[in-house]
Amino acid sequence: MATGTGVYFDGRTSARREVAVEAAPDALRISAPDGTLLAEWPYPELIAQSAPADVLRLGRKRDAVLARLEVPDAALAATIDEYAHGIDRSGVTERRARNKIIAWTFAATVSLVFIAVVLLPAIVERLAPLIPLSVEHRMGVAVDAQVRAMLDTEKSSRPFECGLEGREIAGRAALDGLIGKLETAAALPIPIKAAVVRRKESNAIALPGGSVYVFEGLIDAAKTPDELAGVIAHEIGHVAHRDGTRSILQAAGLSFLFGMLLGDFTGGGVVVIAARKIVESSYARDVESAADRYGVDLMSKTGGDGRALGTILERIAGSIEPGMTILRDHPGTKARVELINSISPPRRGPPLLDSSEWAALKWICS
Amino acid sequence: MTLENAPAARIALAEAAAAAAVPPAPPVAPSRPVRFTGEAGAFWRLLLRGALLLAVTLGIYRFWLATDVRRFLWSHTEIAGESLEYNGTAAELLIGFLIAIAILVPINLIFFVLTLSMGGAGGLISMLGFPLLFVLGQFAVYRARRYRLTRTVLRGVRFHQTGSAIRYAFCATFWWVLVVLTLGLVYPFMQASLERYKMRNTFYGDLGGRFDGSGWRLFARGVFLWLLVMVPLLVGIFGVLGSLDFEAIGEAMGGNQRAMTRFMMASSTQAAIAFGTFGVGSSILLAILLFPVFQAIVLRWWLDGIRSGALTVRSHLLKRRIYGAYLRFLGLALLLIVATIVIGFVGLAIFGASPDGTGTEIAGTLASVALYVVVMLGFSTIYQATMRLALWRHGAESLEIEGLAVLEQVTATGRAGSAVGEGLADALNVGGI
Repeated sequence: MATGTGVYFDGRTSARREVAVEAAPDALRISAPDGTLLAEWPYPELIAQSAPADVLRLGRKRDAVLARLEVPDAALAATIDEYAHGIDRSGVTERRARNKIIAWTFAATVSLVFIAVVLLPAIVERLAPLIPLSVEHRMGVAVDAQVRAMLDTEKSSRPFECGLEGREIAGRAALDGLIGKLETAAALPIPIKAAVVRRKESNAIALPGGSVYVFEGLIDAAKTPDELAGVIAHEIGHVAHRDGTRSILQAAGLSFLFGMLLGDFTGGGVVVIAARKIVESSYARDVESAADRYGVDLMSKTGGDGRALGTILERIAGSIEPGMTILRDHPGTKARVELINSISPPRRGPPLLDSSEWAALKWICS
Repeated sequence: MTLENAPAARIALAEAAAAAAVPPAPPVAPSRPVRFTGEAGAFWRLLLRGALLLAVTLGIYRFWLATDVRRFLWSHTEIAGESLEYNGTAAELLIGFLIAIAILVPINLIFFVLTLSMGGAGGLISMLGFPLLFVLGQFAVYRARRYRLTRTVLRGVRFHQTGSAIRYAFCATFWWVLVVLTLGLVYPFMQASLERYKMRNTFYGDLGGRFDGSGWRLFARGVFLWLLVMVPLLVGIFGVLGSLDFEAIGEAMGGNQRAMTRFMMASSTQAAIAFGTFGVGSSILLAILLFPVFQAIVLRWWLDGIRSGALTVRSHLLKRRIYGAYLRFLGLALLLIVATIVIGFVGLAIFGASPDGTGTEIAGTLASVALYVVVMLGFSTIYQATMRLALWRHGAESLEIEGLAVLEQVTATGRAGSAVGEGLADALNVGGI
C-alpha cells in the first residue's frame, strides 16, 4: 500500500485539485487534502493516457467524462503499475502490440503487391473480352483524341495525317487496298481505321476500337509491301486480342489500387507508374508474341510472307510498343524473329501491292 | 502555477480548502505560461523509425506515425503547468480513411466510366470532377480540424468545434479562387475570414473562441514578400514579351530546321531567354529563401489574433529562430541530395554493367522507385524534424497570455468527432495526415 500526492481533474470542470493518492490493493483512492474521498478507481478500469515521460496520467475506461489523475511521484506510479494489469510503464505490451500491427501492415503490403502483379492482370484478362464492342468503340474515340494530341507535336502547315492531298492521295488508295486485303482475311467484328501520320519513328500503334496509326518512319523503313503488311497485321492482332482495352483496364486498376491506398505518402504517382511498368514488362512479351503469331497467320491467309515481319523488326531493332523505341539490340527482338521464322510458311501468292502501288504508298507523306 | 511554486502552493491550497468551502482563488499565472519540453533528438528518432516503417509498409503505417507525432507534440506542450493530451488513436484514423475510400471510390469510378463511355462530353464531365474534389477537400479540412480538436484534452476537459463544414468548404473554395485570380494578394484576407469562422466555432469546454486578427495587418506585414517574389517574375515576363520578335516566331515554326536555328540564334530571342531565365530563376530562388519568413509571419499573426472571453494572446515569435531551423533543413536536404546523386551514379554503373533482360529491367525499376521513395521520405522527415518542430516549439514558447484565469473555470461540454474528415483529407491529399 503506497501513498503520495497527485493532481486530479474531475472531468466536469477544468478545476485543478491537489489530492492525496492511495494505491490500495483493491482500488486506487483519491482523496482531497482534508480527507474526503473524491473517487475510487478500480484497477481494471485504469488506462494510461498520453503524457510527458515523467508523469503517469490515468483515466478510466467507459468514463462519461474525461476525469484524469496525474501522478508525478515515480515510486507511486510504479506501485500502480504493478497493481493495474492494463498499465505497463515499461512499454513492453505497447511495443508488442505495435509490432503485431507492423507485421500485419507489412503482410497487407505484400498482399497488395501480389494483387497488383498477379490477381489484377488475371482479373483484367477475364474482364477485357466481356466489354461490349460499342463501349470499346467509345473508349477508342476518347483515347484517339488524346493520342492524336500527344503525337502531333510538329504542328507544321501540312496536315498531321498523310495521304489527304495532292499526290499523297494515290498512296492513301494503295494503303486502303492493302488494309482491305488484310481486313477481309481477318474478318474482325469491327472495322480497322488506319491512318499514316507524320512522325519520324519506325513504329505503329493500335488503339482500342480499331484505330491503327502507322508512322511515316515505318513507311520509309519498309523495303517491300510484305514488311509493311506484316507490321500492320501485327497491329491488327493487338486489336483482335483487345490488348489496348486490357492495358487501359490494368492501368486504371493499378491507379485505383495504389493511388488511393497510398494517400499522400509520396504522392502515389511514381509508384503507380513503376508498378505499371513492372507488370507490363512481364506481360508484354506474351502479348507481343501473341500479336506476332496472329500477324504471321494473317499474312499467310492473304498469301503474303510472314518472315517479312521478322526482317523489318530486325531492321528497326526496337520494340513495337507505343512511344518506346529502344535504340540498341533488344534480346526480345531476336527471340521474336526466331519465333516468326519458325512459324512462317513460305510465300504462295502474288505480292500484296504491285510496284506502282508500292511506289505510290512510299510517297504517301510526300 | 509554475512548477517551482508547486510545493508551497500545495500546502497553501490544502489549508485554504480545509478552512472554507469557498474554492481557492486561482493563482496568478506568469505571462509566459506555455512551455515545450520535447527534445529534438527524441523527435528525430521517432520520425526516422517512422520513415523506415512507412517505406516497408508502402505508407500504411502513416496512421500510427501521425498519432505518435501528435502525442509527442501535444504531451510536451505545457500550458500553465498542465500538459496537453492527445487521446486519438491510429485505429480511428485508419477507419476514417477506409470510410473516406468508400465515399471516394464510387465517385472516381463514375467519373472514369463517364469519361470512357461518353468521349468528348465525358471529358467535360470529368473536368467538373476537379472542383468537386476541391470542395470536398475543404470539407475534409474542416472536419479533420474538428477531429484533432476533440481529441485534445487539457485538464480533463476536451476542446471541440461547432459550425458547418459544408459552409466552410464553399467559403474556402470561393476564397481560393480569388487568391488564384489575384496571384496571391488576397491571401491575408482569406486567412482572416476563414480563421474568424473557425475560431468562432472553436470551444474549450464551454469557453468559446474568437479571432481578432486583421487581414490588413497580415497584408501589411507580408506584402513585401509578395513583391520580392512577384516583381522579378513580372520583369521576366514583360522582358520576354517585349524582346521576342513575334513575326519571326511564325516564320520559324512554319519553316524548316535552319529557320528555327536562325530564330534561336537571333539576339531578340537570346534576350528573351535571358529575361525569362532571370525572371523565373530569381523569383524561385527568392521564394525558397523567403518561405520560412512567410511561415513565421503568418504564424505570429495567427497567434496574435487568438482570443477567448477575457483571455488574450500575444506572440513574440522571432523570425530568426524559424530561419535557423530552416537553414538546418536546407543543409540536411542538400546532404540528402548529394547522397542520392552518388548512389544514383553507383546504381547506374551497376545497371549499365549487368546483362540485359526483363530481370534487370524490373530490378532497375524497383531500385529507382526505392531511391525515389527514400528521397521523398527523407525530405518529409527532415522537414518535420526541423521546421515543423521549430514552428511548434517557438510558436508555443513565444506566447504571452493574459487572462489565463479563465482556463480554470471551464465546464466540460462537446462530444468527440469522427475521423472521416481526416480520412478524406488524407485520401484527397489535402494535408490530412
